[in-house]
Amino acid sequence: MSIKVAEVERTFGSFTALKHVNLTVEDGEFMAILGPSGCGKTTLLRLLAGFDAPSSGTIEMDGRVVGSPKQIVPPEKRNIGMVFQSFALWPHMNVRRHIEFPLMHHQFVSKALKKNMRQRADEVLKMIKLQDLAERMPEELSGGQRQRVALGRAIAPQPKLLLMDEPLSSLDAELRVAMRGELQEIHRLTGTSIIYVTHDQSEALAMADRIVVMNHGSVEQIGTPRAIYNHPQTSFVARFVGKANLVKGKWQGSFFSPQEAPDVHWEDHGVSEILKQESVYSLRPEQIEINQGDSGIPGEVANVQYQGKDIRYTVKTATARWQVDTDLTHNFHLGESVRLSIKSNL
Amino acid sequence: MNFLKFLSDEKERTVPRAAWLSFPIQTITFLCLVLLFVWPIFRLVALGFNSEHGVTFENYQTILSDPFAWRVVLNTLLISTCSMVIATVLGVSFAWLMAYVTIRGKKIMQLFIVLPFVIPSYITTLAWTQLFSENSLLAKLLSLFPGHLQPWNLYSYMGMIFILGITHYPLVYLFTVNVLRKIPREMEQACRVSGGSKALTFCRVTLPMALPGIVSGAFLAFLASLDNFGIPAFLGIPAHINVLSTYIYQQIIGFGPDAFARASVFSVLLGVLALLAMLGQWLLQRTFKAGATTSSERKPRYILSRHSRVVLELVIWLFFIATAMIPFVAMMMTSLLPAYGLDFTMQNMSLKNYAFVLFESPDTQLAIRNSLNLAVITTVIGAVIGTAFAYLQVRKSSRWLKLCESFISLPYALPGTVMALSMIFVWMEPIPGWNPGIYGSMTILFIAYFTRFLILQVRGSATAVLQVDRSMEEAAQVSGANGWTKWQKILIPLLIPGILSGASLLFLTALTELTVSALLYSAQSKTIGVVIFGYEQAGYTTFSTAFSSLIVLLILIGFAILSLVQTFWRRKEGIANVH
Repeated sequence: MSIKVAEVERTFGSFTALKHVNLTVEDGEFMAILGPSGCGKTTLLRLLAGFDAPSSGTIEMDGRVVGSPKQIVPPEKRNIGMVFQSFALWPHMNVRRHIEFPLMHHQFVSKALKKNMRQRADEVLKMIKLQDLAERMPEELSGGQRQRVALGRAIAPQPKLLLMDEPLSSLDAELRVAMRGELQEIHRLTGTSIIYVTHDQSEALAMADRIVVMNHGSVEQIGTPRAIYNHPQTSFVARFVGKANLVKGKWQGSFFSPQEAPDVHWEDHGVSEILKQESVYSLRPEQIEINQGDSGIPGEVANVQYQGKDIRYTVKTATARWQVDTDLTHNFHLGESVRLSIKSNL
Repeated sequence: MNFLKFLSDEKERTVPRAAWLSFPIQTITFLCLVLLFVWPIFRLVALGFNSEHGVTFENYQTILSDPFAWRVVLNTLLISTCSMVIATVLGVSFAWLMAYVTIRGKKIMQLFIVLPFVIPSYITTLAWTQLFSENSLLAKLLSLFPGHLQPWNLYSYMGMIFILGITHYPLVYLFTVNVLRKIPREMEQACRVSGGSKALTFCRVTLPMALPGIVSGAFLAFLASLDNFGIPAFLGIPAHINVLSTYIYQQIIGFGPDAFARASVFSVLLGVLALLAMLGQWLLQRTFKAGATTSSERKPRYILSRHSRVVLELVIWLFFIATAMIPFVAMMMTSLLPAYGLDFTMQNMSLKNYAFVLFESPDTQLAIRNSLNLAVITTVIGAVIGTAFAYLQVRKSSRWLKLCESFISLPYALPGTVMALSMIFVWMEPIPGWNPGIYGSMTILFIAYFTRFLILQVRGSATAVLQVDRSMEEAAQVSGANGWTKWQKILIPLLIPGILSGASLLFLTALTELTVSALLYSAQSKTIGVVIFGYEQAGYTTFSTAFSSLIVLLILIGFAILSLVQTFWRRKEGIANVH
């Protein structure tokens, strides 16, 4: 299903949850909506599901207006499936009945599916690897299994759009990573469009075809994971997605001179116009070289965090604190004087 | 172009927002609510200012300058306050024990604590009077001791205060126990770690956090005492001790020339007292909400040694046996005597009274039929309307619905006598000069029960709706189910235990209601409460005790069945451990 969100705004009293949101989702695309809590991503998802109507603007699905301030197509009349953050499993139904429920009631279920409901349920159960636990009640399942039931219920009627509201956030860290692969597989198998809301940038980067980064109810940037990570358009995206240092200084043509070392020239590696206008250079922790030579910005190691595969240093310079990641071969201790420079092979 | 799009949308049946509450429906509902719930109160107040010469303060002037009237008000305040103290001490002690201390059998204890909710207060009173009567076993036991010991005369201020206190302590208990459980253990631990002793922790952390809960529970006990009719009617009327609720009743029954106007003034006095107490309770509850956490902890926090635990348990059980069992045994013993005053021996025992009550007296049979009818109809209609309202209130909260809720809770908040009186004034002649015959028939009882008790169902159902996360419904909607399917397959199965417990409370309250019925009954619409009260007033104690024993038995059986059904349902649907 293709989706077009045009100039959508949603206000609650005096609070504006969404401001001028514009975005399109192509048929079959996996789109992640990424942002901190309170950025409006869940509000946007609820508008897409039809639980709520925009205060202004329109939402189109396959060319038909489904949401506008005047009228909305309710969720049960949209060809969608949804996975809830809390899973929202019904405590009085077993796994099989959860899968069969949308097959029975969803309006867009094809006649063939409806006829072979049991067969389709078996197929879904197999897809979510719960064929042996079909008679279990939700309370008898582990977190990961409940997650899969919620997923199975959403995909069973073969909706053309799958909405996911932080579906992995209530799982533990290990399971979260394992489930990513399963979600991608489901996407490949079903070919439906997916809109996936998350606050975890690594989830979004790992799975999505494209990412929408939101902050304070506005869209900051839309792009592929690579574009978002390597070429953040705004300082918020640089900090939120890449954990980048925003170095203050001066842009002269395609060269940048940091404030703390005016005679140094950094080459432009694709810094956005917005950042240039703000006179900053976004530099992710792993793009910084740290050494004890005599060129570069002078600073002092203020904190050391050993992280296993690398080391994160906090370096205090005259006017800022820098986050720097190095491999394990570099070892500096607290209080040591160091120099910072940009890595040559960006 | 837009126009065309609109047409295609129309074909797909788009739903305009908030269609469920369109303006005309809203207005009609509002008018109905005002007519049923608010208008009667208005009529009642208005009548106090009424005289042959138009609007007047005359009634207020006469009554407020009458020292006897002030005596009644003072009695009411004195008795309510003292009984509130007893209820608070008992309620808080039990709440603390049940929430924090390691004792065994808490589930059964809890049942005994809430028993006074289940058994109507006039039956409890009857039971106690039998325990303390002149020819009871207790009296004989006391006469064995030297020094002319006699059982305590319950027909006195102290007797009324005592019975009111032990009837209303569960109110304080229920309020306090939840508050205590919600105080996070970490708060107390944080105080201990910061160097506070156990005593300091209790005084500076636990008590201040629990105080709003305790005080608002106490206010409720006070309100319940103001409202209570059964206890002062059974104990106070014979001893010529008047409180507002019984005094209003006697005014109406006495049918003096200015009875209605006087009763109206007294009702306004009682209503104002009740509203003041409610205001206090509401203000306190608001202060507590700010600091409360959502989760409640049930694990005990005070571990007792084996020895002191057993002693404590023994004391608690002795209390239950003395307050919740012995009086009822005494009542049952009286009911087995062929004539009041006979000694209780094997030869004297007979089931004659039961035979009379069950098969001979037309009054009791009629009363059982009437009460069952009223209770069933009120419960069924109440369950549907109450749950629907509770659902709207929780899910689509708005200022309008809040206003509606305060209308619905008004008749329950006001003392029963006041409420019943307002019903008389409205339904005797709804439009001046037109008497549709509602007053004096079962219909007025039904209207009164429905308006008074609807809020019980609303609260019960609202608790149930709150426990079902909104996403459960949204999941159903996304799966294609809305409207009736959603209710049938998702909401009703999830809500039914909560609806049932609200409905059973409503059913029971309606079945044994006395206060409102005592003012509204007619020969053909006597209820269980009215008949027991009538027997007692006429001196047929053997009949009243027999009938009461039967009712207690029925209630206990009903509750056993209900809890069986609920356990079965939970097991079947596997609801027990989710959330």
